[in-house]
Amino acid sequence: MRSTAWEPVAVLLAVVVGGVLLLHGVGVAVRAVREPLTTGPFSGGFEPREHPVSRFHVRWYPVTMVFLAFDMEMLFMYPWTKVVPEVGTSAVVEMFLFLGILLAGVGYAWREGAFRWT
Amino acid sequence: MAETAPLWAAVVLPVALVLVAWAAASVDARSAGLGRAVLRLLVQQRRLTRAADVLLVRVGTTLLPVAAVLAAVVLPLGFRSVSDLPDGIVWFNAMEALAWAAVWLTGWGPNSALSLIGGYRFLAQGLAYELPHMLAITTAALGAESLRVGALVDAQAGLWFAVWMPVAFGVYLLSALAMAFWGPFDQPVGTDVAGGAASELAGVDRLLFLGGRWLLFVVAAAFSVPLFLGGGQGPFLPAWAWTVLKTAAVLGLLMWARRRVPTVRMERYVELAWVVLTPLAVAQALVVAVVVLGR
Amino acid sequence: MDLRNRLGRVALDRPAVLLVTAAGATRERLAVEAELARRRWPRASGPAAADLVAFAGAPAPAGDDDWAERLWNGVPAPKARVRVRDPEHAAHALEHGRMALLVGAGTQGRQEQREPAGHERHDADGEHPPQHDGHTASGRSEHDGHTTSGPSEHDGHGHDAHQDHGGSHAGTDQGHHGHGGSHPGTDHDHHGHHMGGAILGLPMAERADDRDGLRLDRLHVPLGPALPDWPAGLVVRTELQGDVVQRASVEALVPPRSSRPAFWSEPWLRSAAGAPVTVDEAARRRCAAHLDSVGRFLAVAGWRDPAAVARRARDQVLGGASVADLRSGLRTLTRRVRRSWTLRWLTSGVGVLSSTQAQRYGVTGPALLADGDAYDRLLVWLEEIDRAVDACDDRSPLASHALNGPRGRIAPEAPASRTLVDVLPVLLEGTEFACARLVVASLDPDLDELAPQHARGGHAHG
Repeated sequence: MRSTAWEPVAVLLAVVVGGVLLLHGVGVAVRAVREPLTTGPFSGGFEPREHPVSRFHVRWYPVTMVFLAFDMEMLFMYPWTKVVPEVGTSAVVEMFLFLGILLAGVGYAWREGAFRWT
Repeated sequence: MAETAPLWAAVVLPVALVLVAWAAASVDARSAGLGRAVLRLLVQQRRLTRAADVLLVRVGTTLLPVAAVLAAVVLPLGFRSVSDLPDGIVWFNAMEALAWAAVWLTGWGPNSALSLIGGYRFLAQGLAYELPHMLAITTAALGAESLRVGALVDAQAGLWFAVWMPVAFGVYLLSALAMAFWGPFDQPVGTDVAGGAASELAGVDRLLFLGGRWLLFVVAAAFSVPLFLGGGQGPFLPAWAWTVLKTAAVLGLLMWARRRVPTVRMERYVELAWVVLTPLAVAQALVVAVVVLGR
Repeated sequence: MDLRNRLGRVALDRPAVLLVTAAGATRERLAVEAELARRRWPRASGPAAADLVAFAGAPAPAGDDDWAERLWNGVPAPKARVRVRDPEHAAHALEHGRMALLVGAGTQGRQEQREPAGHERHDADGEHPPQHDGHTASGRSEHDGHTTSGPSEHDGHGHDAHQDHGGSHAGTDQGHHGHGGSHPGTDHDHHGHHMGGAILGLPMAERADDRDGLRLDRLHVPLGPALPDWPAGLVVRTELQGDVVQRASVEALVPPRSSRPAFWSEPWLRSAAGAPVTVDEAARRRCAAHLDSVGRFLAVAGWRDPAAVARRARDQVLGGASVADLRSGLRTLTRRVRRSWTLRWLTSGVGVLSSTQAQRYGVTGPALLADGDAYDRLLVWLEEIDRAVDACDDRSPLASHALNGPRGRIAPEAPASRTLVDVLPVLLEGTEFACARLVVASLDPDLDELAPQHARGGHAHG
C-alpha cells in the first residue's frame, strides 16, 4: 500500500515537469525571436542607481518570530488530530492549554505593536 | 469508500485542472480570447533583466504550477483521487506552502525593485494567512479523526463540515484566495507595482507563473469541497457530478467576492489575521474537539 | 515556419497595449483609452507584458535621458509602437500598430520580406498626410529616425531589427542599457566591470539610516512616468529601504511649451481669459475630471470593477450623455464606493494632509476641503461628482470670478497642481510602497497644468 500510494505522485511529478519542459519547447519553436532580450528593470521608465537586489527591510520581522512559534506547534497538531478519541480529555486539555499560552503571546505581541508597520 | 484511481489518472489530472482553470479564467475575464493571450505569450521573445538570477526565476516559475498540480494528487473527483495518501492533508499543506518559495524566487530573481517588492509582499501575506489556514484544515481533520482526505469525505456522509464548522470554512476560503495571491489578495502581483513578482516576466516564464497561479487558485478552491462540503456526497446525481458542481459553486463565490472588495494590504490584514482570525480558528478547533470527545 | 507566422498572426490580433501618456496629452489618453475599451484589447502593466506601446503625446525626455526609448527597448519582440498626437487619430494609430504587428508576424524569420513591410508602412503613412506632417514637424519623432536611418530603426517592426542583428544582439543591447542605466548627475560608468563593487556598471545598494533608527540597504528608485495608473509626466525619485519610501523628490516632465490649455481646467481657463463658458460645460468637465481621478484611485487600490465603471462614466459625461442617463449610473457608483467598508478600512489613515498644512503649501480644491487622509479626499471627489451632475444641464453662463477647477483655484501662473506636486514629498516620506501609490493617486496632480502656455485661447477639442 505504502509504495503504491506514492507511485502516482511520482508519475504526476514526471508528467507536470514534462509539461513545463514541453511548454518551453513550444516557446522555443514558435517564438518570434530566438535570442533573449536583455534589458534593465522597470519602475516606470527610469532605472535605479543600484542593483535592486539588496538586504530588504523586512518590517514584519517580529511577525515571523510569532509565526515560527505557532508553526512548530502545528507540527504537533497534525498527529494530535488522530489520537484525540483514544487519549481522551487530557489530549484536548493539553493542546488547548498550549494554544492558549501561544495566544497570550500573540496578545502581548499585538499590544507591543508587532502587527502594525505603517 | 474512497479508492485510488488507475495510474493513467495521473496524466488526465493535469489536463483536467488546466481545463477548469481555463474555464474559470475565461469566465473571470468575461471573454473567450484566452487562447489568444496564451499564444501571445508563447510567441514572445525571452526577456532577461540585467544581472538577473535566471536560475531562480526558472525555479520559481516552474515550482508554482508543479506545486499546484502535485497538491491536487489528493483531490478526489467523486470518491476517487489520483492517490489517497494516508497524510493527504499534510501533503496538500506542504505543496501549497511551496508557493511561498515560488513567488519569492520569482520576485527576487529579475533584479528589479518592483518585482522584489512583490516577492516580499507574498511572504508577509503568507505570515498572515498560513496560520488560520492550517488551523482550519486541522479542524476538518479533527472532525474526521484522520489526515486522509478520503476519510474526511466519508465522515461527511451525514452532515457537511461546513455546517458545523462554519468559521473554519470561512477562514479556509479566505486563505484559498490568499495562497493563490488572487482577487483581493493579489498584492504580490498588484497593478500598483506594475505586476509585482510578475512584472519582469515575459513569454513562457510569464505563462507558467500566471497559469500556475490560476491552477493553484482552482486547486485551493476545489480542495474546500472534500474538506468542508462533503466531497462527492449528495443525492440523485453521481458523485463526480456533485464534486464538479460544488467546485464550480465555490469558484463562482470567490470570483464574485473579488469584484466586491479592493486589494487587501498586508500591513492592515496581518493584524486582523492574528488578532481576530487566529483566535476564532482556535475556538472553532476547541468546539470540534469537544464534539469529537463526546461521540 | 508557416505555422509560426500563422500563430503569430492569431496571437497578435488583439495585442496587449502599454499606454504611456506624456504630460499635456490628456485628450489623446482619453481617446486611446476609449478606443482600447471598445476594441477590448488587454492593457499591459509594464513593458514585459506589452506587444504594442502607445505613446499618447510626445514623451518629454529628462535631460539627456531618453526614457521612452529605454522603455521601448525593454519590450520583448514581437512588438510595435505608435504615437498618438491627436485624439482623432487614436483609432487609426492603434489599428496601424496592430497591422504593423501582423505584418511583422507574417514576415518574421524571412529577412528579404522586410522591405515590403516597410513600404506598407510608408503607404499607410501616406494615406494620412496630416499625421505624418505633425510627426516630421516635431523634430524628435521616430518617423524621422525611421526615414533617415533606414529600416533597422523601423519603429513598427522592432523585432525585424532584432532579427537582423542576430547573435550580436545581446552584446549591443548590454552596452546600450549600460548607458541607459546611468542617470544625469551620477557618474557615467558605462562598462564599469572594473569598478570597485560595481556589477555591469551599477553598484550594489549601500546602507543608510532608516526611519526606525536602523541602518539598512537603501535603493534609489525613480518611479514613473510610465507606471500604470500614474499621473502623466510625474517622476518621483525615491530612496527605498525594503518597500518603505525613506525620502522622495518630485520631478515633472512637462513639454517646454504647450499650445493647448490643460484639458481638465480648460473651461475655467477660458472663462478667465474672457471667453463665454456655460455652467454645464464646467460641471461636465469637473465631473469627468473627478471620475478620472476616482477611477485611477480605485485602480491603485486594486478595485478594478468600479474603477472601470468610473472610467466608462467619465467618457459618457464627456460624450454629452443626458443628465437623466448620467444621474442613476453615477449615483449607483458613488453609493457603492461610499458603502464599501473594506475600502474605508484600507485607505483611511493614508497620507493625512490637514487643512492647516494644506494651506501652508497653498493647496486649494478637494485636497484642502478634505482636511484628512486619502479616503477623505475620495469622499470629496464623490460629493463633487454628485453635485456636478445636477449642474450638467444648466446653460447659464459661468461666473468669471472665484474660478475653482477640479484640482483647485484656477491661476495660470500658479496652477493648483503645482501645489499638489509640492506637497507630495512630505506626504510620501516614511510610507510603505502601496500607501505611497495611494497618496499619489489621492492627490492626482494634473501635470498638464504645469506646462507653460504660449498660445492665447484654446482650440477646439474632442
